[in-house]
Amino acid sequence: MRDLVLLAFIGAILALGFRRPFIWVLLYIYVDIVSPQEIGWGIITSLHLSLVTFIAAFAGYVVLDSKHNSRFTLRQALIVALLAWCGYTTLGAAFQDSAWEKWTWVWKSMFFAAFLPLTLRTRLRLESAVLVFALAIGAIAINGGIKTVFGGGGYGTLTLLVDDNSGIYEGSIISTAAIATIPLVLFLARRGSLFPPGRAVWLFCAALIFSCLLIPIGTNARTGLVCIAVLGVLLMRQVRHRFAFAALAGAAMLVALPFLPQEFTERMGTITGFRGDESASTRIEVWKWTYEYAKEHPLGGGFDAYRANSFTYQLAEVSGAGNNRRISYSQVTDSARAYHSSYFEMLGEQGWPGLALWLALHGLGLWQMERIRRREAPRRADRDVWMHDLATALQHAQLIFLVGAAFVGIAYQSFMFLLIAMQCALWSQWRLRRKAPGRPAAAQMPDDTRPAPRSAINPV
Amino acid sequence: MIDIFTILLSHGLILLAAWKLLFRDDLDHEDAAIIEASRPWLKDRAPADAGEEPAADA
Repeated sequence: MRDLVLLAFIGAILALGFRRPFIWVLLYIYVDIVSPQEIGWGIITSLHLSLVTFIAAFAGYVVLDSKHNSRFTLRQALIVALLAWCGYTTLGAAFQDSAWEKWTWVWKSMFFAAFLPLTLRTRLRLESAVLVFALAIGAIAINGGIKTVFGGGGYGTLTLLVDDNSGIYEGSIISTAAIATIPLVLFLARRGSLFPPGRAVWLFCAALIFSCLLIPIGTNARTGLVCIAVLGVLLMRQVRHRFAFAALAGAAMLVALPFLPQEFTERMGTITGFRGDESASTRIEVWKWTYEYAKEHPLGGGFDAYRANSFTYQLAEVSGAGNNRRISYSQVTDSARAYHSSYFEMLGEQGWPGLALWLALHGLGLWQMERIRRREAPRRADRDVWMHDLATALQHAQLIFLVGAAFVGIAYQSFMFLLIAMQCALWSQWRLRRKAPGRPAAAQMPDDTRPAPRSAINPV
Repeated sequence: MIDIFTILLSHGLILLAAWKLLFRDDLDHEDAAIIEASRPWLKDRAPADAGEEPAADA
């Protein structure tokens, strides 16, 4: 049944793409995030869906699509440089087998991120990419949200669409991705033109946001709780009545507390007491090890270089309660522990040059989105509210990712590269609109008299 | 059951969005959105009929 539904869906989208080849690009975004070949059980698992849709998206653009307003931006060049650097470090990787295995999916994520902005050359295309991104993450989040409500959660045990705690279906990763998607959902609810704002759209978006918030609870991922806190702070920048928002958020949390599973509250309680938790203690040790490793290997050890690590540390164990509370220390030896941080993942695997490129890619993105936000700020009479709101959503999503990434190794995750690609496309469109009045598209009408596109004049 | 519901809902919405895209000229040309937004009454008209319509603000 699942296979039939998924195959019918993919077949239908492929067919629609013959009329509008850009739809194949959207199909690849969906396949890249959801991995339908892993959801099914039968024939779909043997199909090379990712490859087929990748070729369709790429060939559709190169052969059939117009290149009008397609621009190659600095950040796309940075992605290509990072890709080339990753290829170079893979050639000399310390662990060749696993490095090449990781390379097979990393290069696709990066290549597609460098390519995607070329296709997102109109507002509607950008909006539809954001929409498919949100619905693809939403497919996983709604599923996890419903299962969490019915008590199917637990650390490493919440079964999402795929019964495999890896890739985007891994608890901490989907928690970060789901929370990072919330700003995009809010943008679509307010400024969407494919599904214009209305009662049904707001209802669905509210349910989707609620599902996304449930994911960290269902997966018991502490990173997710940190991401929710970041989201709360970021939303304060956006809302008109900050105090009312803060009071309501606080009240909602108090009301929600009794309903949270005990396992979740216990695990969240360990956020501050890292000394008594093996997972948290390991992180600190891995980060120390990676720093030392980078001193010896400044150019990085290639993908999965963490396999070389081994360290012994003291783990505090608390037994008893009240006056009988005793703390004993035991020696724990760990080896081949993952980085548990994207920053250290980049440092260990790609060395200082790779980390610098990766940080430049993100830093530049934050700065570009901030520039758009300021130029299109409410005080500007000729502001483009659509671009302002999208820049805000993409910047917030990126900030949530960057905070979550401090605790999870998601430096190469495709959902993050898709976010970067959408930022590149927005930057490119904004530059065309604001910086190059001599170009034909922008020269048709002066900015002040130019009516906003349909997507920008939807009622809020 | 939950899985099927989720798949039908999310995939149905993506399919509906893709279907809607087929009929949006501004998917490929930014200018189409400007014309559509400024003169929505022309959206479904052939170019020859356009001049006969009374003018109105968008």
